[in-house]
Amino acid sequence: MKLHIIKQRSLWWSLSALVIAIGIGAMALSWQQFGAPLRPGLDFAGGTRLQLTRACAVENTCPDDIDLAEVRQILSQQGLESSSLQLLGQNQETLSIRTINLDVDERTSLQAALDEEVGPFDIDTLQIDSVGPVIGRQLLASGLLALLVAFAGIVGYLSLRFKLDYAVFAIVALLHDVLITLGVFAILGLTLAVEIDSLFIVALLTIVGFSVNDTVVIYDRIRENLKLHPDRHINDVVDDAVNQTLTRSINTSLTTVLPLVAIVVFGGQTLKFFALALIIGFLAGAYSSIFIASTLLALWRERTGQAYGDSDDTPEALAESPN
Amino acid sequence: MAKYRTWLGIIVVLTIAAVVVISQVPTRLGLDLRGGSQLTIQVQPTETIPNIGEREMEAVQTVVEGRVNGLGVSEAVVQQLGNDQLLVQLPGVSDPQQAERVLGGTAQLEFKAQRSGTEQQLPIENQVLQSHLGELSALQASVPEGTVIDPETRERIEQLQQEIEASEAAIADLFEPSQLTGDKLTDAIARPSSGNLWEVVIQFNNEGGNEFAELSREIAGTGRSIGIFLDDRLLSAPTVDVQYAQTGITGGSAVISGNFTAQSARDLEIQLRGGALPLPVEVVENRTVGPTLGRDSIQRSLYAALAGLALVLIFMAVYYRLPGLLADIALIVYALLTWAAFNLLGVTLTLPGIAGFILSIGMAVDANVLIFERTREELRSGKTLYRSVESGFYRAFSSILDSNVTTLISCAALFWFGAGLVRGFALTLAIGVLISMFTAFSCSRTLLFFVLSMPQFRKPNLFCPGIATARP
Repeated sequence: MKLHIIKQRSLWWSLSALVIAIGIGAMALSWQQFGAPLRPGLDFAGGTRLQLTRACAVENTCPDDIDLAEVRQILSQQGLESSSLQLLGQNQETLSIRTINLDVDERTSLQAALDEEVGPFDIDTLQIDSVGPVIGRQLLASGLLALLVAFAGIVGYLSLRFKLDYAVFAIVALLHDVLITLGVFAILGLTLAVEIDSLFIVALLTIVGFSVNDTVVIYDRIRENLKLHPDRHINDVVDDAVNQTLTRSINTSLTTVLPLVAIVVFGGQTLKFFALALIIGFLAGAYSSIFIASTLLALWRERTGQAYGDSDDTPEALAESPN
Repeated sequence: MAKYRTWLGIIVVLTIAAVVVISQVPTRLGLDLRGGSQLTIQVQPTETIPNIGEREMEAVQTVVEGRVNGLGVSEAVVQQLGNDQLLVQLPGVSDPQQAERVLGGTAQLEFKAQRSGTEQQLPIENQVLQSHLGELSALQASVPEGTVIDPETRERIEQLQQEIEASEAAIADLFEPSQLTGDKLTDAIARPSSGNLWEVVIQFNNEGGNEFAELSREIAGTGRSIGIFLDDRLLSAPTVDVQYAQTGITGGSAVISGNFTAQSARDLEIQLRGGALPLPVEVVENRTVGPTLGRDSIQRSLYAALAGLALVLIFMAVYYRLPGLLADIALIVYALLTWAAFNLLGVTLTLPGIAGFILSIGMAVDANVLIFERTREELRSGKTLYRSVESGFYRAFSSILDSNVTTLISCAALFWFGAGLVRGFALTLAIGVLISMFTAFSCSRTLLFFVLSMPQFRKPNLFCPGIATARP
């Protein structure tokens, strides 16, 4: 099997453009609904989340299900009627309540009321997340800053090791991967009410680190081929490089995605969407390395009159090859 | 082949050392895995101290540490976060509410003499305050169960809260400022007084004892009272009997009564022992995970990850055959070395940290995939087995180096700018990537060449299916 990536590049590009456009549309829609491109979770919006599991669930002796109407009554008594409620767990034995940011007294009285009317709850499986608005902004700002610094660092390193044009297209590919992941989560936010938390920022950064790997491996091969065959057209060099590394790209994506799929299917609640974000980003990353970064590089070199081998592309590792 | 034997020896020793480390040095688990509370405390500037500097933060930290000790939580950690925040970690805390209450209050205790000429005003102001408080609690109780508070009532409640604040301020105005504060205490003990009520007995230090004697002497027999204030709110205003007019109350001890329950008396006791905070603070973040919940999530995610890894190991052996099998061994060695490194370096494993570890295993696999793919290519181009393996390692090196360095760059960005969970992830991923570079080039390589030194394994189709076996 040989992929003709250069010949069909307009197909690859339009495919990506389409997915990204849908994602941006979803983000615009989210902006109207939540005032943010993605549905912000507790970490960014601030608020309090209580996750309470009934004590009877430990021995599996709950006589009936949690009565949500009753919970709503308690919430409205405390002036928290705008809170959202969710039942979790196999037998719906866990109650998750998200409210505005409560201080310790408000929270204590809410918990006491719930414990009395709906409970008792098991203290060992309690989970409280309470995030003030200041912290939310802080988390978001530090995450975005980390993302920008990572981008800058990668551009710097790649321009040192390769050339500036390689680095620029690697970043284009990265933006592509980040946009696709954002788009998919915007859609998930609109349809399944999936919220993003600070782990999502971690996921984006990991995607950046990983998908640049894929791009680097192909670039490395392009650089090597340019050196070996200075008389070949850049389009052929890129085609060769992509095909030579194709098995590796597929196998690596497979081996990285396998444990992640296992986490999505069997893992705990917290890591589920983190792993999903990584899977989407890694697959987008493998795609963009093969179909976007390399084809853009070829196009750029062709347009700027560098279609044939460039002696400046000397990879130092190859200079002393044992062969 | 002696060279490979030496390396093989080193790897075996390292692996054994890693196993010993793992069994001897415990893995440090984050609060999200073993349960506990993590609080972020924001220190707030006041009019008198508008800028929070290093000294203020240290003073606040000392007080917070004192209170944390009072809570009796073992292995608690208090550390500074940025310029004006403290991070408090309380493993296995059983009552997160108490922790938040105790750590959040300023606990500024003051003993003030009543201004002369205000003897009539105090009971009046007090009555106003009590009537407001009474109305407020009646209002709150009047809302029938299961109904929404109507806007009218809510407005009245807010109005009452403002009036209560105003009359508290008015009462505070009736007392003279004083030097006798909670930092002149040596001890505080909560004890039951009468009925369900509790009180807190305090013991002054020498200076405080003298000041208290002086204060009580001044007041004794005048009909004015000593106002005991906590955070500018009057707790009680006892008068002093005329018999103390000569000497004042000596002995350096006093009783604070008020409407204390057992719980609030205990809270005050801890706060007073720890001392007052020089600046007001607010708990801006609370993350509490029950101990069982943490254990459940670690187990589920670990099992999931192990299942995924098992699939990866099987895939490697099936697809890459002999080298894949050797890479599997190298990966297991890698996982052991990394785990031991976490324990030795004291890395606290959190849920994202485990995710970082799993991802670094992915990177380690990638290094091997790169090498083996390259080896196969060289074999297909007609090179000998030995040369192909040699050049597979050689040529894959720059790819592996570049891709790992870019990952390390993003780890560094995450570590410097990220907070809490994000940092844990960056740290484990970075350590993992560094060790994976080592194992790919020492462990996988040594094992491969060691095996190649044995003639029965020197068959190209063990490396690449479908290639002619005749070549040596």
